[in-house]
Amino acid sequence: MDFTFNEEQYFFQQTLKDFLTDNVTPASIRRRWDSDDGFDQDAWRSLCELGTSATQIPEDCGGLGLRFDDIIMMIQACGQAALPEPLVEHSFIAAPLLAQLHASQPSERVADILAAMASGEAMVLTASMINPYVNFAHSATHVLLQFGDDLHLIDSKDCTLTHVTSVDRSRRLAEVKCQPNGTTCLTNGRLGSELWQATLNRGALANAAQLLGLAETLVQMAVKHASDREQFGKPVGVNQAVKHLLADCAVKIEFAKPVVYRAAYTLAVAPNRADWAVSHAKVSATEAAQLAARHCIQVFGAMGYTWECDVHIWAKRVWALANEWGDVGFHKNRIHEWLVQPKALLGPEFTFGRRNIRDVEHID
Amino acid sequence: MKLSFSAADEAFRVEVAQWLQDNLTGEFEHIRFRGGPGDEHVFVEERKRWEQRLAEGGWTCIAWPEAFGGKQATIEQQVIFNEEYARAGGPGRVGHIGETLMGPTLIEFGTPEQQAKYLPGIRAGREYWCQGYSEPGAGSDLGNVKTRAVFDEATQQWRINGQKVWTSLAHESHYCFVVARTDPNQVGHKGLGFFMVAMDQLGVTIRPIEQLTGTAEFNEVFFDDAVCAADDILGAPGQGWAVAMALLGYERGVSTLGQQMLFQNELDEIIRVAKTNGTSQDPSIRQRIAEAHMGLKTMRYNSMRMLSGAEGSQLNREAMIYKLYWSSWHRNLGKLAMDVMGEQAEILEAAPYELNRLQSMFLFTRADTIYGGTNQIQRNLIAERALGLPREPRGQS
Repeated sequence: MDFTFNEEQYFFQQTLKDFLTDNVTPASIRRRWDSDDGFDQDAWRSLCELGTSATQIPEDCGGLGLRFDDIIMMIQACGQAALPEPLVEHSFIAAPLLAQLHASQPSERVADILAAMASGEAMVLTASMINPYVNFAHSATHVLLQFGDDLHLIDSKDCTLTHVTSVDRSRRLAEVKCQPNGTTCLTNGRLGSELWQATLNRGALANAAQLLGLAETLVQMAVKHASDREQFGKPVGVNQAVKHLLADCAVKIEFAKPVVYRAAYTLAVAPNRADWAVSHAKVSATEAAQLAARHCIQVFGAMGYTWECDVHIWAKRVWALANEWGDVGFHKNRIHEWLVQPKALLGPEFTFGRRNIRDVEHID
Repeated sequence: MKLSFSAADEAFRVEVAQWLQDNLTGEFEHIRFRGGPGDEHVFVEERKRWEQRLAEGGWTCIAWPEAFGGKQATIEQQVIFNEEYARAGGPGRVGHIGETLMGPTLIEFGTPEQQAKYLPGIRAGREYWCQGYSEPGAGSDLGNVKTRAVFDEATQQWRINGQKVWTSLAHESHYCFVVARTDPNQVGHKGLGFFMVAMDQLGVTIRPIEQLTGTAEFNEVFFDDAVCAADDILGAPGQGWAVAMALLGYERGVSTLGQQMLFQNELDEIIRVAKTNGTSQDPSIRQRIAEAHMGLKTMRYNSMRMLSGAEGSQLNREAMIYKLYWSSWHRNLGKLAMDVMGEQAEILEAAPYELNRLQSMFLFTRADTIYGGTNQIQRNLIAERALGLPREPRGQS
């Protein structure tokens, strides 16, 4: 039993974190807000050159073939930086979807697109039925479209985009319309259904990890502010009423971490039985991030309510990601539907020890 | 990251479970699931005999080094033992303060003579300990202890005067570890000593404190010229604070996993009642049951993570926030239990004041957010030590 990450996993995270700290600053995010497409081509190219787009792509397609628990902290790092570019959508949701397809049904077409994704030549995003909009669809080269159980790979030239405006200026959303047909279809039926189920779980968990990262940065900002800002001759953070707001956030965040990491592990070793773990992770991380967003703005006082203050860059991403890939209600339903059903495997026998890893944390 | 147990660990689990199944029967059958938090006053004699049965089987003090009679069990084995113990309904451990707090502290700070004097009785399940930290004027502010220890050159003994409070199992214990001031000219964390004091002497008076549950697990302990030998001080005079804090570090160890198993038993009982009386159909109740279940899983993952990264008795960030998390979770569970019971929640099992398991749990959760550091104190610690917010100026004492 080991709940820790190895050196390699920390190295991947640190490399990405260092790049994001240097290159994705609040000022550079605000510059994207003022541009037409909201997309920083240089940042994207550099991210691909770092190898981030290749992590989930099989080695025989030019990728690194890493597991989901290897990269979960990279997703968290994207959240910490409030990265606008759809690295998570491309590298950690679309890529493993195609990699999973390639593993059960290898084809040249999928191998080619995976290779192009690894190098950054192609940018592929996912249009799942659970999400009404696709983030940065206008920058993508291809879209993976869900149509029932069908999985279609569609050239973005063949898509019609209807843009909508997000509360988060960093997100550029569009409704994607296109005409799927026999030639665009990669797979369907049972395999298609399995792929989309796994994709829902990866999407929800990827959002959970980003929410965790967003929450961490929000608390850091609030701690710094509460330590610097003085009123009545002392830092406002001396007061317990302020301290306790942030302590509550710290508890939620620290306790959401193992839940998210655990779900990543389950996705890696038993992707078809990860529903329970993923839903738990999405709920925990969302609640932590929403509390952090609320308390951080409160701690910043009136400044926190201004456009000029950077807090809303992170807070608004929290509000947006909270509802993508299933909101808290959706995920809580997946849990309690299972809990109170007559055949639910309840009791210490199933929560602890013996049968814990193998049998419990999924909803059959 | 690898979240499964090895084959050797699984074999250890079978060994523990089998031993418990073979031994927790007959004269011990009726004390299964009894004597836990909120229930510590029941079946004390049987539970003492049970401690000795455990000791004979080699199941006390398994985490201790072999040199002191332990098994030097790995973290995984300790986790497994605690899980299987709770799963089997192992009764509340009369010896747990000696085994999990005093023993490790003696092993860390004690002289060979002190270790030889006290450890075997703990290991054998024959000598029990209680904790003398809190005082009427020193609750959260432990540095404010007023109990005094003066060395009497004539008798070559320490002479102790003062009052301790909230002392669990004082009347069943052979010894109490007492934090007392050795240097009357010092205040706060300075000038304290850590003493091992025999309870069976004229200078010690114990008075039970009746709680709002109608039971009395806590006591007041009065020291009026109580004595202990010259070498019954652990560490030097003036080092009491360091020893006292090191002991608390052991409080947040693997025993938390056993506690989680007890929580699971309570949650199962709530689900059983909800299914029986139909409240399980109420969407708001269902949500709260789901939340409770998630919270419990979260605690387990967090403990595992905490223990995987544990180094010595160092208090890390996760450990620091654990108390606040579980006490709040358990408080909500108590509320959920009462809401699931509905109007029956008010009706006691029997006169004069016999509570059922869930009622007793609900009332006991009122204490969870207070003892071992109130939720408010925990938040101060997290904010100042884990997040690094500026410290609040301390008042004059």
